[in-house]
Amino acid sequence: MRAFWHDTWGAGRGPAVRLSPATRLLAGILLFAACMLAPTARWPGAALAAAIALAWLASCRPPWRFVRAVLLLGLVVLLPYFLLIALLADGTSPTMSHATLTAAASLLLRGMSGLLVSAATLTTLRISELDEALAALPVPRAVSGILVQIVHQTALLAYETRHVAAGMAVRGASSGRLTAWRLLASLPRVWLPRVVQRADRVAAAMELRGFCGPTDHQRPRACRAWQDVLALALAATVLAATLAVRFGRLA
Amino acid sequence: MTVPALAFSHVSVRYDPAEPPILNDINLEVAPGEKVALLGLNGSGKTTLLIAAVGLLPHEGTISVCGLPLTREKLGEVRRRVGFLFNVPEDQLLFPKVLDDTAFALTRQGMPAAEAAAKAQATLSALGVGHLAQASLHHLSHGQKQRVALAGALVASPPLLLLDEPSAALDPPAKHALARLLADQPAAMVVASHDLDFAAALCTRFVTIEGGRIASDQADAAEVRRQWDSSA
Repeated sequence: MRAFWHDTWGAGRGPAVRLSPATRLLAGILLFAACMLAPTARWPGAALAAAIALAWLASCRPPWRFVRAVLLLGLVVLLPYFLLIALLADGTSPTMSHATLTAAASLLLRGMSGLLVSAATLTTLRISELDEALAALPVPRAVSGILVQIVHQTALLAYETRHVAAGMAVRGASSGRLTAWRLLASLPRVWLPRVVQRADRVAAAMELRGFCGPTDHQRPRACRAWQDVLALALAATVLAATLAVRFGRLA
Repeated sequence: MTVPALAFSHVSVRYDPAEPPILNDINLEVAPGEKVALLGLNGSGKTTLLIAAVGLLPHEGTISVCGLPLTREKLGEVRRRVGFLFNVPEDQLLFPKVLDDTAFALTRQGMPAAEAAAKAQATLSALGVGHLAQASLHHLSHGQKQRVALAGALVASPPLLLLDEPSAALDPPAKHALARLLADQPAAMVVASHDLDFAAALCTRFVTIEGGRIASDQADAAEVRRQWDSSA
């Protein structure tokens, strides 16, 4: 069995992968912030958000099937906003419908660019590197431990669900609607306790292995080489340029 | 006088104050390097004893590991001296990649990543799963996960190993190899198992538990087998 989302961690093959984990994460956060702050209702802002997303995608080179899945997810989540245009436009004011169309398009572009930047950042980090990246940043150890565990446990949950689904299929859930409904109805009583028990046991193991406890090693440095400094400087410059465009100086 | 690797003195454990104890007045000492098999039927209290020894359950009485009392203040120090194998290996595998998981015990002690990775790789190889170092844990069989979890427990060379059913998911050749490997470890060991053949190949002392109490403590596996056969 394979978990699609889980296996994409660290699957990027672009030059950004050569940066230190903390730099990759920080640069991703800065670029995500730039996409969210870009005034996408105006052409310069829209172009900037699109350029940021494309440039970061090129730097990270995530697997194409993953990019395609993220694009699809973005469209599913963001396209329904266009349905609101019909509700807001009364048909008498073209300015009003243009404004609502611009607002929806702006939201789509901002959401898509943010989603792509986040997804690309994810593919530059293996989960162990995520832990290392968080350890290099001023994030409390407990918080970084919990974040890494959320990612790991989500994958475990996906696998557990697949096992339950496989069990259901084998026991007849896939043949006959009545059986399927009966088994589906029992899901909260089967799946949920199983997942809760598992979470309980994993928590005990985490405690025992000192997962969130203090470590003996020093905080690793976020920037290791000149490439890291350059990447962070570029990301910060992009964010600054976005702010300048947003607040009118370059518009 | 040698400090025992593990000492239980009048230890009782209960999950519910209204219920009878799961472990009742346990007295047990394990010397450094000693290999002890903890034998008993399902529900006899073997796993509870192991879990209590690392402070995951509240207990009455005193427990000490390598001379350190198991108290809230010393809990971290105690756990650093223990390698633990849960009976469901997936529960203790906390990283998606095999090598990262095995190296974790070393990196958290401050060992440089490259050195930790090399040592983790050597431990995995000794357990016959070196070729899986770069694999995702989610793609392994149960027996492979068992060996990876065991590697995580062995890699930091703790002075005490607490192993809950280490042979449960292994095929016969892997079981023999594991028994040989564990027998060569200098650490003291408490091995909870139903598998008397595996226990006999590894341990020199056999403690049986019945109803939360120590029923027998002897050096002869054959005697335990006779008792089990007669009660069957």
